[in-house]
Amino acid sequence: MIIAERKPMEEIKQLIAPYKKVLVAGCGTCVTVCWVGGEKEVAILASQLKLARSAEGNEIVTLEATVERQCEREMVAEIKDKVAEVEAVLSLACGSGVQTMAEMFEDKPVFPAVNTTFIGMPEKEGLWVEMCGACGDCFLDRTGGVCPIVRCAKGLLNGPCGGTRKGGKCEIDPEKDCAWVLIYRRLEKQGRLDLMRKYYAPKNFRAVKRPGKVQAVKA
Amino acid sequence: METKIGVFLCNCGGGIKNIDFDAAREKVAKIPGVTCVNLSSNLCLEEGKEKMLSCIKDENIERVVVAACSPEFQEHIFRQVLENAGLNGHLFSMANIREQCSWAHEGDVTVKAVELIKMAVNRARLLQPVEKKELSVNREVLVVGGGFSAINAALQLSQVGLRTTLLEKEAVLGAGTGELGNLYGSDTSSMISAVEGDENIEVLTSARMTATEGKIGDFTVRIRKDGEEISHKYGAIVLATGYQTELALDSEPKLRAEDEAISGGNIVSQEKLCRMLENPSLEREPKTIGFMFDFSDENSRFPTLATLNNALAAKQKWGSEIYVFCKNVKVDGEGVEGLYREARDCGVVFLKSEAPPRITAEDGRVEIEAKDVLLGEDMILACDLLVAEELLLPTEGTEVLSSLLNIRRDSKGFYQDENVHLYPIASERKGIFFIGGCRGDLDLGRVLTDISSVVIRVHGLLSSGKIVVDSERVKANPQKCVACLTCIRVCPHGAIQLVRVDSDKEVAEISDLACDACGICAAICPAKAINFEGYTDEQIVAQIEAIGAP
Amino acid sequence: MSKEIVAFCCEHSAYPAADLAGKLRLDCPENLRVIRVPCAGRVDVIHILKAFERGATAVLVLGCEDGACRHITGNTRAKERAKYSEMLLKEVGMDNRTVDMLNLAPNEPHKFVRAANKITKRIKESEEAR
Repeated sequence: MIIAERKPMEEIKQLIAPYKKVLVAGCGTCVTVCWVGGEKEVAILASQLKLARSAEGNEIVTLEATVERQCEREMVAEIKDKVAEVEAVLSLACGSGVQTMAEMFEDKPVFPAVNTTFIGMPEKEGLWVEMCGACGDCFLDRTGGVCPIVRCAKGLLNGPCGGTRKGGKCEIDPEKDCAWVLIYRRLEKQGRLDLMRKYYAPKNFRAVKRPGKVQAVKA
Repeated sequence: METKIGVFLCNCGGGIKNIDFDAAREKVAKIPGVTCVNLSSNLCLEEGKEKMLSCIKDENIERVVVAACSPEFQEHIFRQVLENAGLNGHLFSMANIREQCSWAHEGDVTVKAVELIKMAVNRARLLQPVEKKELSVNREVLVVGGGFSAINAALQLSQVGLRTTLLEKEAVLGAGTGELGNLYGSDTSSMISAVEGDENIEVLTSARMTATEGKIGDFTVRIRKDGEEISHKYGAIVLATGYQTELALDSEPKLRAEDEAISGGNIVSQEKLCRMLENPSLEREPKTIGFMFDFSDENSRFPTLATLNNALAAKQKWGSEIYVFCKNVKVDGEGVEGLYREARDCGVVFLKSEAPPRITAEDGRVEIEAKDVLLGEDMILACDLLVAEELLLPTEGTEVLSSLLNIRRDSKGFYQDENVHLYPIASERKGIFFIGGCRGDLDLGRVLTDISSVVIRVHGLLSSGKIVVDSERVKANPQKCVACLTCIRVCPHGAIQLVRVDSDKEVAEISDLACDACGICAAICPAKAINFEGYTDEQIVAQIEAIGAP
Repeated sequence: MSKEIVAFCCEHSAYPAADLAGKLRLDCPENLRVIRVPCAGRVDVIHILKAFERGATAVLVLGCEDGACRHITGNTRAKERAKYSEMLLKEVGMDNRTVDMLNLAPNEPHKFVRAANKITKRIKESEEAR
C-alpha cells in the first residue's frame, strides 16, 4: 500500500497559520494502516494544533473527519458539510487523496500534512519498507519476487555490484540487505538460478507515460 | 432525554471525617443528569445495599455512581446490587473518596472528593450495558509430553473425569525420565502402566503437533502421527515438554547427558550414574567419585537433590569415597535438608569453593582442583568418576511449541516463568498451561504443585462443559475495521482473528473467551474501530474533562 | 485545571499502590487525579494530549514493573507512548509539559508517593521561576 510520513510540525503550522477554523481530514485506507493519517492521527494532530495555537495566543478551531478512501469522489462528498464550515482543509491522505479533496472543494485551500513516500509493506511492527517503484514494466518474474530497481541501492538489473558486504549487506547502506543476494537465494530455492545467466537490456523507464492512465475494459 | 444518574455516598460507618458530606451532596445534586444523591454510613452492608436497591428501582435510575472506598474492594458487590435491581452491572462507576482522598491527605478534602465524584459521573453517563453469555466448551485436554509431569497430569486429569490425550514425540512414554527413578522413589514404569490401562487417557506416541488454531474451550490441533495427519479438538492444552541437560564443561563439542564423555567415560551425567547404579554387570565399581554443581547456574535445587540421592545410593551400593564440590547446597526443598545430613553422616565430604574447579583427565583418572573456602587451601582430588555439573536447558519441543502456539519464553528459553502477574502455570494465552521441567528451575516439590494446580485449574474451567463470559465487551466494529492486522499481531492473548463478514470483506474479530480485557488493541487500532466498553476513549476523556471544572 | 497531575493508574499495580498509600496515610499531594485503567497499555497518546488541552501541567502513566505486565507488552507500549507524547508536545513548543512513566509493584506505595511529590515540586518550582 501507499506509505506516507507526516510533515514536520513547523511546516504544517506554517501552512495553516492564516486560518482560524480548519478541518483535519484523514483517510481510512493506506495512511490508516501505516499509522500516519487515520482517525487516530487526525485526533492527535488536531490536539497538537489546538495546544500550539493556544500557546501563541492565536486560537484555532479544528473539525475532524476521516473518510474511508479520500481518493473517491463519492466518499469525499460525504463530508461536504464539515468542509463548508471551515476556512481550509488539512489533509493527512496521500497525494491522491489531497488532490481529490482539492478538486471536490475548489473554493477551499487544501493542504497536505503528510509526504507520500513509497509503495511498501510492513516488515515488522511499526516499520514499513519500500517494495515497488511503480515503473510500469514489472520483471519480478525473473528476480524471484525481489525488485532490484527499488531494493538495490544502485538499481542494478544484472546481478550484484561485487561490493556486497559480509552477511549479505549492501555496500552503500550496511543496514540494508543486498537485493541481489536475496534474489539469488530465492531463485536457488526455486531451482531457477539459470535466469541469472541471462543478460537483460537496460530498462525502459518510460514504460508509463506520466501522468499515468489505465483504462479497464468497460464492463 | 438525559440519562438518570444516581449517586450514593458512603462515609464508611462515620469513619471518613475530613469530607463535609452535606456540602458535597449539595454540589453533586447540581451535576447535570444526577437525579438523586443519597448518603449512607454502611453502603456495603445489607441495610445499605437494600436502600440502594430500592432507590434505584423507585427513582428509575439508569446509571449508578458510588462514592466510597476503593473499587478494588467492593465493586463486585455493588454491581450485584444493580443486577438485583434489574440494571446491567456494567452501568456502574465508583469514585474512590476514601483510600485515595480522605485517607491520602490531611485537612478538608471536600473539594477533591466532589471532583472525583464528577469524574465518575461523567464516565457513568456514557456507560453501556454488557450482557453475559454462556458458551459451551470442549471437555477434552491435550497434554504434550510423555515424561513424569505429563504422565502424572494425565492420570490426575482422568481421575477428575476429563478425557486426556498424551502427545509424545518419541516412540515410548517415559523417555528422559531415567534419572528420576532413583530420585522420586516413584516407579515410572508403574505410572506408565496406569496410563496405558486408563480408559480416559489416549496415548499418541511418535506423534507431533503440526498446527493449532482456535482458543480456550475450542482448540483445533493438527497432529502428525506415523505419516498421517489427524485433527482433534480440545478445551485446554497442557505443555509438559520437560528439560534437557548439557554437561557444563569447557569442552568442544559440548557434552550432553547421554554422551560418553572424554577419557573413556569417566566424566558422566547424573542420569548416567543412575544407570550405572542399576547395572548389575557393571565392569568396575568406581572407588572415588567426585560431584560438581552450583557453579554455572544458581538454580541448583534439582542438581542438589540429584547429587544427594546419587551420593547416598553410591555409598550404599559401592561403598565409594564421595566428594562433592559446590558453592552452595540448595536444601530448601522438602526433605532435602534431611538428605544432606544423612549424606554427611554417611561420610560424604562437601567442599565449598567459590570458583568452578579445574578438571583434567588422563589415564583413566580425573583430577579435580579447587580452592576450599573453609580451609583456604587448594584441594586436588583424583577420582575414578566425576559427575559433572549440568546446565538445565529447554528442549527442542519447548522451542517448537512456543512458536506453534505463540507463547513467549523467558530469558533462558523456558516457558514464561518470570512474570509475577501470570499464574505460575498459565501462559499469556487462556487455556494453555505449562508444568514441570519446561518451566525451568526444576524442583521436585514445585513440579508436584504445578501438576495439582493445573488439574484444579483445568477442571474448574472445563468440567461443566460451559463457560460464562462477557458478550462483546471488547468489539471490533466491522464497518470501521480496515483489516490492517495490527490488533491481531499485537494482542498478547492471541484473542483476535481475521474473519470474513460479507462475501468480500475480512475484519478482525475478538474472541469473548480468550480476551483478557486489557485494552491494548483498543489503544493501538489506527482506525479507532475497537470499542472497549467501560474504557472507551470517550469514557476516559470524560473523566479528564471533569478535572478542574468549575 | 491548573496544578493537577493526571495519573493513569493500571489496576494491577499502580491503583492498588495508590490505595495502599492512602491506607498507610502517606503524605500524598492533593493535586493528584487518578484515572483507573485495566492496563497501562490502554492509555493512548490522545488521552495524554487531551489532559494537556484541559490544562494539566503534568501527566503520569503508571504500570507494572518490566517483565511483570500481566498483558506482557502493556507497560512497554505505555512507556513508548508517554515518550512519544512528550515529543509531540515539544514539537508545538510546550517544553515545560512533562509526561512521565513509572513502573511499580502493587506493594510500592512509597514509590508512588515519591513520584507524585517530585512532580508537584517540579511544577511549583517552574511556576516560581516564571
